[in-house]
Amino acid sequence: MLLEVKNLDAGYGYLQILRSVSLNINEGEYVCIVGPNGAGKSTTMKTIAGLIPPMGGSIIFNGEDITGLPASEITKKGISFVSEELNLFVNMSVRENLYMGAYIIKDKKVQKERLDFVFELFPRLEERKDQLAGTMSGGERKMLAIGRGMMSDPKLILVDEPSFGLAPQLTANVFESLNVLIKTGVTILLVEQNVTKTLAVTDRGYILENGKIGLEGASSDLADDPHVRKVFLGV
Amino acid sequence: MSDNYVSKFVIWSKSAAGISILVTIFVAVFAAINSGPYLIVNTIVTGGMLALVATGLTLMLGVLNIAMFAHGEFFMIGSLTAFYVFTPISNYISENPESFVAVIGPLIAIICAAIVGAIAGIIAEKLVFGPLRKRSTDNWVMNSFLLTVGLSVLLVNLHQLIFGADFKGIVGYWSGMPVSIADVFISRDRAMAFVISAVIVAIFWFFMTYTRTGMSIRAVSQDITGAQIVGIDIEKIVLLTISLACALSAVAGGSLLFMYPSYPTVGLEPLYLAWFVVILSGLGNILGAVAGAFMVALLKAITVEYIGAGWDFVVPSALIMLVLIFKPSGIFGSDVRGALDQ
Repeated sequence: MLLEVKNLDAGYGYLQILRSVSLNINEGEYVCIVGPNGAGKSTTMKTIAGLIPPMGGSIIFNGEDITGLPASEITKKGISFVSEELNLFVNMSVRENLYMGAYIIKDKKVQKERLDFVFELFPRLEERKDQLAGTMSGGERKMLAIGRGMMSDPKLILVDEPSFGLAPQLTANVFESLNVLIKTGVTILLVEQNVTKTLAVTDRGYILENGKIGLEGASSDLADDPHVRKVFLGV
Repeated sequence: MSDNYVSKFVIWSKSAAGISILVTIFVAVFAAINSGPYLIVNTIVTGGMLALVATGLTLMLGVLNIAMFAHGEFFMIGSLTAFYVFTPISNYISENPESFVAVIGPLIAIICAAIVGAIAGIIAEKLVFGPLRKRSTDNWVMNSFLLTVGLSVLLVNLHQLIFGADFKGIVGYWSGMPVSIADVFISRDRAMAFVISAVIVAIFWFFMTYTRTGMSIRAVSQDITGAQIVGIDIEKIVLLTISLACALSAVAGGSLLFMYPSYPTVGLEPLYLAWFVVILSGLGNILGAVAGAFMVALLKAITVEYIGAGWDFVVPSALIMLVLIFKPSGIFGSDVRGALDQ
C-alpha cells in the first residue's frame, strides 16, 4: 500500500474539520475524493501534504510514518501537491517554475531529464518556456502547476480541484493530461467537485461528507449508488 | 531583428519604468552640464551605497514580509565595526605606509562589517522575529513593524550606552592622490565605495538570478506555500535572507565610514532614503530598487545643488506622496497579477 491514512483529525485553529478520515491508496491507482463544498476535501489534501498539522491519527507513506512532518520533508519523501490556488511563482518564467519544482533533485542531469519529460507531456509549456507564469491563461497555469508537481519525480501526486475556475473545454484538457500522467505510472489522488466527470475517469473513489468518509468503492459503483445519485447528481 | 529591438525599446520607453529612467538620465546629463560633473559623481557614490541598503530592505519586505525600520541600525553596526577594526589597522599603516596592508586593510574592515552585520541579523531573527513568527496568529505586518521600531530604539541606545554618543570616524580609508577621470577628481575612498557597491550589486544580482539558493529566495518571496510544496526549507531561507539583508546594510555602513562617522543615530538617514527608494520602485523588486536608488540619490544631489541643503528630504518626500497617489505599486511595480484575480 502506497498511502495509508488512519483516523485522521485535522482543522484550522480550534475548528476541527476532518473527523476520523481513513483512506488508502495502492501504487499506480487513480483515486478520487468527491463531496460537496466545505466537506473537507481540500483540508484532507493539505494535511497529507503537510501544510496543516494533523490533530490526531496517522499518515503512513510507503511504509514510513510521515504524520506531522513539514511540507518540505513530505515533498522529499515523494508526495507532490498541486493546490487549488496553484501557488505558482508568478514573477518567474515557466522554465524557472519547473526548475523550482525539481528543487529536491540535486543532480543537474536528472533535472534536465525531468524537464524534457514534462515538456513532452505538455508541449504547450515548451512553447511558452520563457513567459512569466503570472501572464499565462488559467488553463496553462493548471498545466504548469501539474508539470511543476511532476518535476520532483513523485510517487504520489495530489491534485486539488483542477477544474476550478476553468471553462468546460479547458477542464476536459486538464482531465486528459491527468489520464496521460496515470499511464506514466504515477499514483494520483484527485479532489473534484465535478462528480460525474471524476467518477467516470477514476478507478476508485471516496465520498467525503461533513468531514467524514461516507462511502467508498469502485468509481463505477459509486456512480450508480442511489445515495450518490440523489445527493450529487440530482437524479 | 533590429526592428524588433527598436519597437521593444519604444514600448519600454512608454512604460512608467522607461519614462522615469529616461527622465533620470536626461536630468543627470543636463545637471552635469549645467553645474559640473561632480554632481554625477556624488549621485553615483551615494546611489551605489543606497542600492545596497535598499536591496536589503526589499529582501526583508519581499521574503519575510517585515516592514523593517531597524535597517539603519545595521548600517550603524557596520560602521561601528569598521571603525574599531580599522583604527588599529590605520595605526599600523601610518607606521609602515609602504606595506600591502595599506591596500587591503580597509577591505578587511569592510568585510568584518559585513560578517558582524550578518551575525547581528541572525541574532535578531533568533531572538526577536523567530519567536514572534511562532506566536503571531494574525496581523503579522503590524506586529513585526512595531518590533523593528523597538529593535531600532534598543540598538541606538545600546550603542550610546556602550560606545558613547560621540562621533567615531576616520579620515579616510585609502590615502593617496585622488583619481582623475575626465577632469573630475574623485577621492580614492569615493571611487572605491562605488566599486565595492557595483561589485556587490552585480554578484548579488547573479546570485538571485542564476543560483539555486537565490532562486529559492525569490520563490519564497513570490509564494510561500508554493515554496513549501516544492520542498524548500522555509526556516533556512528566512535565516539566510535576514543575514544577507543585514550584511548588505552593514557593508554600506562600513564602506561609507569616511563620509558618515559612526554615532548612535547614523542609520536614520540611510534608512529614510532606502524607504524612499523602496516605495518609489515598488515593494519586493530588487532590480527596481537598484535603479530607484540612483534616482533618489540624483534627486537629493540636485535638490542640494539648486534648492538648498535643508530641502534634501522635502523634495523626495513630496515625490513619494505623488507616487503613492498616482501609482501605489511603485514605478517598477510588477504588472503580473496573482493566480486568482484574473
